[in-house]
Amino acid sequence: MKKYLGPLSKDNPILVQTLGVCSALAVTAQLKPAVVMAFSVTVVCACSNFIISLIRNTIPPRIRIIVQLLVVSFFVIMVDLLLQSFVYDVSKMLSVFVGLIITNCIIMGRLEAFALSHKPLPSLMDGVMNGLGYGLVLVVVAFFRELLGSGTLWNHQVVPDSWYAAGYLNNGLMILPPMALILIGVIIWAKNRVTER
Amino acid sequence: MKKFSNTYIFLYVTALVVVIAVVLTLVSTGLKPRRDRNKQAEKCQQILRAAGHDIDRSKAVAAFTNLAEPLTDDGRQYRVVCADGTEGVAFRLDGKGLWGPIWGYAVVSEDGQTLKGVSFDHKSETPGLGAKITEQSFLKSFEGKKLYDKDGNFVSVRVLKPGTASEIAAENRVDAISGATLTSKGVDKMLEQLETISLSSPEGASAR
Amino acid sequence: MIEIFLRSVFIDNMVFAYFLGMCSYLAVSKNVKTAFGLGLAVCFVLTVTVPVNYLIDKYLLREGALTWLSDRFAATDLSFLSLIIFIAVIAGIVQLLEMVFERYLPALNMALGIFLPLIAVNCAILGGSLFMQERNFPTVVHSLAYAIGSGIGWLLAITAFAAIRERLKYAKIPPKLQGNGIAYIITGLLGMGFMCFLGM
Repeated sequence: MKKYLGPLSKDNPILVQTLGVCSALAVTAQLKPAVVMAFSVTVVCACSNFIISLIRNTIPPRIRIIVQLLVVSFFVIMVDLLLQSFVYDVSKMLSVFVGLIITNCIIMGRLEAFALSHKPLPSLMDGVMNGLGYGLVLVVVAFFRELLGSGTLWNHQVVPDSWYAAGYLNNGLMILPPMALILIGVIIWAKNRVTER
Repeated sequence: MKKFSNTYIFLYVTALVVVIAVVLTLVSTGLKPRRDRNKQAEKCQQILRAAGHDIDRSKAVAAFTNLAEPLTDDGRQYRVVCADGTEGVAFRLDGKGLWGPIWGYAVVSEDGQTLKGVSFDHKSETPGLGAKITEQSFLKSFEGKKLYDKDGNFVSVRVLKPGTASEIAAENRVDAISGATLTSKGVDKMLEQLETISLSSPEGASAR
Repeated sequence: MIEIFLRSVFIDNMVFAYFLGMCSYLAVSKNVKTAFGLGLAVCFVLTVTVPVNYLIDKYLLREGALTWLSDRFAATDLSFLSLIIFIAVIAGIVQLLEMVFERYLPALNMALGIFLPLIAVNCAILGGSLFMQERNFPTVVHSLAYAIGSGIGWLLAITAFAAIRERLKYAKIPPKLQGNGIAYIITGLLGMGFMCFLGM
């Protein structure tokens, strides 16, 4: 069990391996799209890990990248269609970033590094854990950005009106793109303090 | 490592592509009615919101058929019953925000003089700044504003920073969102379209 | 058209506004020369793939796109396949470019060759095609302007970042912040700098 927990902290895909930042940060201005994004990536990562691992012995090595891309894009399109059908508002917020899950390096990276050489069930676990590790960072970043930037969480106001009356202001910079990067930098700093003393 | 012949590789890819394409097509066609319904419901809700009705997304389509009827075939103009019981005409507006397109509906009173209400939506404005154009507090400020000045000239409803261009009367202007200058300008520009489209409309022409 | 170009270089910058291509951006920015090489390659591939995907989108995928074949297809909407087709086109074109370079332009191949395989999975490239689709450009020339602009924007970002990183070797950074931590923060600060172009 222990070896699967690495992606959540020690081997976190974003913080340590710097994978998959691309498609992620733009959806962290608010908590809700970040959670949906984290969930979608986890599903895609787990499913494609599982499938690739199932068919790993039949894949000709010369075309394995193409096969991986096909399988990943299949699941991404499925997720996209489902989001559009069942949680329309959120799918609008995520716009093209759902599609960009395809090029999320975490997924391709896990397929190459794990699924191609392991049995289906461990691969499924590995996919879930990496997806969650990625989602964790996303949610933490989104938590601070929404709280400090808009004074809300999950669209509910949490900063009391009396604070605003006393002169408290939302930090508008928090919701702009650059702050996401700076927050990640700070999270990495904090994580390094905790894990390697 | 196992060796794979070219024929095998070719067949493998073909089979994979066919399987994926078939499954995706099935899922996509299966879910299409649902997706279309979502889009339709959103549009109905938006138009009704401009007319002052606060209606849940799930009931929007049913309410819409009762309260509104299309005026043109292109789905850009509707005759709609407002929340206060009077009738108005809803016009579709399109414009440009800071990051991407913004759009919305404006409901104009039957005499073509007064804005009964508006609703806006956007593709990708900054949350907390430009995205505030969808919030009630901003939309409410448009209600009852005049499109024409005292001399009967079209001035539109201007979205201006508080304190600027004081020659525009209070009944012809609303306050811009602070910190979202460019998105506010986009809304301002969008409302200017009302002059041409309201006059070109079959209803609007008779109203003037 | 010039507006589209300038916008995509400065305001809608791939790296700073949409975080696209961050993986290779962080990995290949240790020195200015390689960073510039990768930037050029991204620029080049974007310029080729976006217009190609634009034509595919316009004449094959979009709802009603197939009417040039026959009126019967007016209601066919293949846009749900666009993701898979875009990525296939990109992978195909990258492969093709690699072969052409190897055969006819060995000098260019030496400069860009090692970066080309990296590019097929660079989010900036797929992102370019997806944004192109979303923004609905009126002609293929507009999409070309957009592609070149985004490419140059990416090139600018990675080169500037690599230059700063080279300098960073002489800076005193808290030990736990070194490496990725400071890299993210610098990117954030650069992004803030680019925000000044917003009013353009």
